[in-house]
Amino acid sequence: MKKRNLSIKIISRILIFCIGLGTIIFSIYYYYTRAAIQESTRENAVILAENTINQIEEVIEPAEKLPENLAWIIETGVIPKDSLQYFLAQLVKNNPAIYASAIAFEPHIFSENTPAYAPYAFRNGARINTIDLWSPDYNYFIMDWYQIPAILQQPYWSEPYYDEGGAEALLSTYSVPFFMSKEGQQVLGGIITIDISLDWLTEIVNSVKIFDTGYAFLLSRNGVYVTHPNHSQIMNESIFTQAKEMEQPEMREIGRNMIKGQSNLTSLNLKDKGKVWIYYAPIQSTKWSLGVVYPHNEMFESLQNLNIIILLLAFAGLGLLLFFTIKIINQQISPLAKFADSARTIAEGNFNTRLPNAGNSKEMKELHDSFEFMQKELDNYIVNLKETTSAKEKIESELRIAKEIQMGMIPRIFPPFPNLKEIDLFASLESAKEVGGDLYDFFLLDEEHLCFAIGDVSGKGIPASLFMAVTRTLLRSVADNKKSTAEIVGSINKTLSFNNESNMFVTFFLGILEITTGRLRFCNAGHNPPILIKNKTEANFFNITKGIPVGLFEDFNYSEEVVQIEAGDQLFLYTDGLTEAEDKNNKLFEDNHLLDIIRQYAESVPKEIIEKVTKEVSLHVNGHIQSDDLTMMSIIYYGTKK
Amino acid sequence: MEITSQKTDDGIIIFVKGRIDTTNYNEFENAVNDIFKDDVSQIYLDCSALNYISSSGLRVFLTIQKKMMGTGGKFKLFAMQPSIKEIFDISGFSSIFSIYADFETAKQN
Repeated sequence: MKKRNLSIKIISRILIFCIGLGTIIFSIYYYYTRAAIQESTRENAVILAENTINQIEEVIEPAEKLPENLAWIIETGVIPKDSLQYFLAQLVKNNPAIYASAIAFEPHIFSENTPAYAPYAFRNGARINTIDLWSPDYNYFIMDWYQIPAILQQPYWSEPYYDEGGAEALLSTYSVPFFMSKEGQQVLGGIITIDISLDWLTEIVNSVKIFDTGYAFLLSRNGVYVTHPNHSQIMNESIFTQAKEMEQPEMREIGRNMIKGQSNLTSLNLKDKGKVWIYYAPIQSTKWSLGVVYPHNEMFESLQNLNIIILLLAFAGLGLLLFFTIKIINQQISPLAKFADSARTIAEGNFNTRLPNAGNSKEMKELHDSFEFMQKELDNYIVNLKETTSAKEKIESELRIAKEIQMGMIPRIFPPFPNLKEIDLFASLESAKEVGGDLYDFFLLDEEHLCFAIGDVSGKGIPASLFMAVTRTLLRSVADNKKSTAEIVGSINKTLSFNNESNMFVTFFLGILEITTGRLRFCNAGHNPPILIKNKTEANFFNITKGIPVGLFEDFNYSEEVVQIEAGDQLFLYTDGLTEAEDKNNKLFEDNHLLDIIRQYAESVPKEIIEKVTKEVSLHVNGHIQSDDLTMMSIIYYGTKK
Repeated sequence: MEITSQKTDDGIIIFVKGRIDTTNYNEFENAVNDIFKDDVSQIYLDCSALNYISSSGLRVFLTIQKKMMGTGGKFKLFAMQPSIKEIFDISGFSSIFSIYADFETAKQN
């Protein structure tokens, strides 16, 4: 699961990055390509227009030469006047572009008695016919083709016109005035014309194609369409009428500039075609103007095709990138999943599980080494742990046995003397550790004497327990009814003090109770003074004596004291584990507290009293760890009456 | 527990603060053993800040006492809190140790 998440994470980031980068690169590329296309299209359009104009000029220029040469011939009188008709016919015949040609003389120029003469040669199918244009119905002097160049005294190209019933073609007439000398003066001799078919012009202009619908058109000096892809407009519409029809004032502006002979590249929003670009330039000789139009959108059509190809390639590239990235990542990450499995296996305790192949990446090898190191360390650790644990277990089991032995040394059967009606006795010992340094003991010296003792060895644990065992053994061996308690304690002290380098000591209380009389002899060697409960109501500590703990100074003189116990009195003995029992704030149980509790349960029998005090102590410590051994012993004297 | 010591003209004063119990009596014993490395004729133990002493601690006191007795020196305790004094009284140690009310009295005796 983790593995997949990681690879998805990496892949998605790479993908986002690539898409982002691709988009930026593509945008930049698109922007510059568009600009370049626009620029090159512009240049192409200009070049195309210029070429077309040149082509037109190439046809027009030689055509213009013909009437000019003719004018020179007539002016110089090289050709006899009677052969002019023939000459014209030959001229038309030899120039396929020329449909007809005329020489229209001013009155009385051809001859004194000729008011009007205009020989005219024209094509009639394959033949060339010649006629005189002049007739009463056709007064050529008032025709535009005659009048305008005559007045301007300059060559003049007529507006193109469709010659119906004659040439059945689009024609334009080029008129050139010629001059004669008459009475020493240069006067206008007449007008020479050639009618040129403009079909070639249409062909040239129509051959201009830009993109799908781009085209060229030619305007006459009045703005009339001379050529246009839409044939119905030729000679029928002008750019101005069209502008009005289409309600495109900008178009009129363009038309105006065109007939003024200007050239420019401009854009125009056509209502039907959208944005188009138009370049126009004049044809100087005829004062016509050529326009090249191409739609803006088509300019980028090739780019759009290219874009689709690029996008397809980009997607294919991304797909491939994705495929290989997934493959590589999975290949690189797959050891991780295997390592995870290994970690689990190791965690289950199989430290020697075989580690997966790390592959050849440095990081995986490091991981592999770390795993190997962990395995080895774990293995060592477990071996050590096992050794320590088994050693510890051994000690613990030894300690358990020691405890059993120690506990075996103190009497633990209650009531201890069921046949002895005069006394009842109960005792308890709780070690803070497995073995402890507290002890109690009681036994009958004879039928009338109960010997009992309680003691507390300094320190705790094994050393204390050994000392305790020695003390208890010594007690049993030296206790004798014939000796005083002080003598017995002194004897134990002597033995224990001998070679006691460690300065261990035992606080010790020894008592011998005469069952028949209630007389209690005792010797206290630095032990906590016991409590005497009198009349089941009053409870008080024994007086503190001068006795020091046994084991310290071998020559110390202990003293015996005697107290009379009455029937019903109870003797409560304890070690400092009771009065110094601490709660978690190190607050001690305290002597007075003990005394209060004893007084409260003064009527209870030994077992009850010890149980109550035990309960109070556990309430006081409230779960705090028991710091010292806790020993209690209580003896009630019923007396002989019972 | 904190132990500090200070030399005087005739010996050394040990100041013990806190408790001496089963968990730290070793520390106390080691500190005392360090002091014994030099010869000292008088050891004064300031008990004014000693709050509690267990039997393990008392054993160390006894060791000091015995050592000092062996070399003819003196081990003097002073300014003991009542609860500590009670422990000394109950155990009969009051009769073994020299206990004084304050340093001045300890020094004079």
